[in-house]
Amino acid sequence: MLGNFQKAIIGSIQIHHQGFFQRPELSRTIADPDKVIANLEQAGIVNYSRRLETFGLAASDTTTQGVMLIGMDPQRESLVTELEKRIGIGRFLQSEDDYSLVVGATTASNLQVKLGDEIIIIGYDRYGAMVAESFTLVGVITSGEMGLDSGMAITNLSTLQEMVDLPEQITTIVISAEEKRIPSLVDELNQSLHEASLEIMPWYTMFPVMKEWVTLHNGFLYLFIGVVLFIVLAGEMNTMLLSMLERTREFGVLMAIGTTRYQVASMLLVEAILIGVIGIALGIILGYSIILVTSIIGIDLSILLGSTSRFYVDPLIYPHLQLDNLGITVGTILLASVLAGIYPAWRASLLQPVEAIRNG
Amino acid sequence: MLNQQAESVIKIRDLHKCYWVGTMPFPALYGINLEIESGEFAVLAGRSGSGKSTLLNIVGALESTDSGRVEVLSRDILSMNQDQRTHFRLHNIGFIFQAYNLIRVFSARENVAYVCQLQGKSKKESMEIANHWLQEVEIGHLGYRRPDQLSGGQQQRVAVARALASNPKLILADEPTANLDSMTGRHLIRLMRELNQRLGTTFLISSHDPDVKQAASRLIKLADGQIVEAWNDIPKPPSSITSSCPMSNLPLTERLQNYFKAARGNARNKKRRRKTRRRS
Ligand SMILES: Nc1ncnc2c1ncn2[C@@H]1O[C@H](COP(=O)(O)OP(=O)(O)OP(=O)(O)O)[C@@H](O)[C@H]1O
Ligand SMILES: [Mg+2]
Repeated sequence: MLGNFQKAIIGSIQIHHQGFFQRPELSRTIADPDKVIANLEQAGIVNYSRRLETFGLAASDTTTQGVMLIGMDPQRESLVTELEKRIGIGRFLQSEDDYSLVVGATTASNLQVKLGDEIIIIGYDRYGAMVAESFTLVGVITSGEMGLDSGMAITNLSTLQEMVDLPEQITTIVISAEEKRIPSLVDELNQSLHEASLEIMPWYTMFPVMKEWVTLHNGFLYLFIGVVLFIVLAGEMNTMLLSMLERTREFGVLMAIGTTRYQVASMLLVEAILIGVIGIALGIILGYSIILVTSIIGIDLSILLGSTSRFYVDPLIYPHLQLDNLGITVGTILLASVLAGIYPAWRASLLQPVEAIRNG
Repeated sequence: MLNQQAESVIKIRDLHKCYWVGTMPFPALYGINLEIESGEFAVLAGRSGSGKSTLLNIVGALESTDSGRVEVLSRDILSMNQDQRTHFRLHNIGFIFQAYNLIRVFSARENVAYVCQLQGKSKKESMEIANHWLQEVEIGHLGYRRPDQLSGGQQQRVAVARALASNPKLILADEPTANLDSMTGRHLIRLMRELNQRLGTTFLISSHDPDVKQAASRLIKLADGQIVEAWNDIPKPPSSITSSCPMSNLPLTERLQNYFKAARGNARNKKRRRKTRRRS
């Protein structure tokens, strides 16, 4: 889900002028974007894209809505986000577009517009003067997420630069990077760009809630494992106890003909562990096939995502197997199996052969 | 005389056994004196409830007693703890039950081989021994079958093979023919008698089957928990509950313990009866 979150719109790292993230004003553009880009390329970063971001008011014939106005480089955007894949109706922006607009599905329905309709965007230029331009709707984002589907209007970078009279200026550089490389990359960039009064922000600094959410997710893993432990324990204990009671007579016979109570107990313990091992094997096969299938087609969580979707969480999640999680789970189930075997084994070891044969 | 004593397989002196029904002691055996010598084919006869199974279980080190001495193969089995008893049974006594009591998931051969493996023999050797004994009981060709694929008579033969496979000095059989038709039972008892004569293994068998009694080298008559000479001997009633049930002299705590133990057993039996009633 973490990957989805970044891929949707935020990217791994964003570079802005100092203070832009807190107060996104057009006076805070990146002073020398070409120098920053040169720096990035020197650091071996190829997945970057430029943006110009400001606020505006979108107006149709019937109504208006406040939007975050983003100018994007349509060709490079696909290097940093998968926004293009979220277009459900129409198409994404193209380089040769002029005053074309992509909005979220919620915005589109609020404005009661359809593809090809005109939308007026009203904003302020770099001097604070009001500007209004007419755009044509070419695409609608239907991601199922509030953050993307409402409150966002996307156009070509060059169009927006022209509209707000900031030729060649940008406010944001978005970078996509491998998750574990992010901290070192941020450090690296901070060092090489320290004079330029920039803020180099990894996604988790911009959206700490999301970071907490990921931490919480790990917490849930342990909760989940606790629940698994309990279920396996209760379920297998029940199974083992029943099967032990069912065979009371047989155990009585075994003991009468010379099986020690320790042998009977260890028989049940081994049985319990075997059940656990077989369960694990079946579980891995089943779970792995489910992961294999869903990692391709994804799992749609849009019904479940209410408020979290505000943080640009993609409702389509693509699960993948983490080996350490698997190890923890397997260990837990084995432990639970042993525990589940102990009580029935103990009960069996207390059986008196005569009574067991008579009553079993 | 000395020689004869060494030959005795079972030696019981003044044995008393009480069951507790609630707080009431019920004498199941009182004043049993019995000696069984090596190679005997002794049959314990008596009406239902006369105490045959109780006596066999005591001799088989499966059941406790209240007073008396029980020596099996010159060993005082009453002084043994549970693990010693298990070990003793494994190496010295073979059991044959009325309901065959084979292990369902094992084949006939595995059922027989199991005791050899318990004795520490290798799997291969155990299987060979099992094959040998299955041939002795004339079902060598059925060794691969599981108990539910065998007739009652065949299953009981497997049980005989299992009892013999541990090479015991003594075999205890509790009504081995009771679940079989008379023809099958007669064959089985003839086979057991033949093995007894050929191997010299001592047999103590409880039964009210006339065929079994006929095959006996000695008939022991049990009536109301006492050994009688003839069936029309009326067993003398116990002089008092305390004499036959010394347990009633026990301190209250132990009596209460016995009471709770019995109560728990009764409750379980009641539950089982309810279950079987519902099923039928
Ligand atoms: N667990 C027990 N609790 C209470 N009484 C018992 C228990 N087992 C046996 N008895 C009683 O002890 C007496 C002897 O029982 P035992 O089972 O030895 O008889 P039996 O001669 O084997 O009878 P059968 O031929 O029916 O098997 C019976 O009166 C029986 O009711
Ligand atoms: Mg009986």
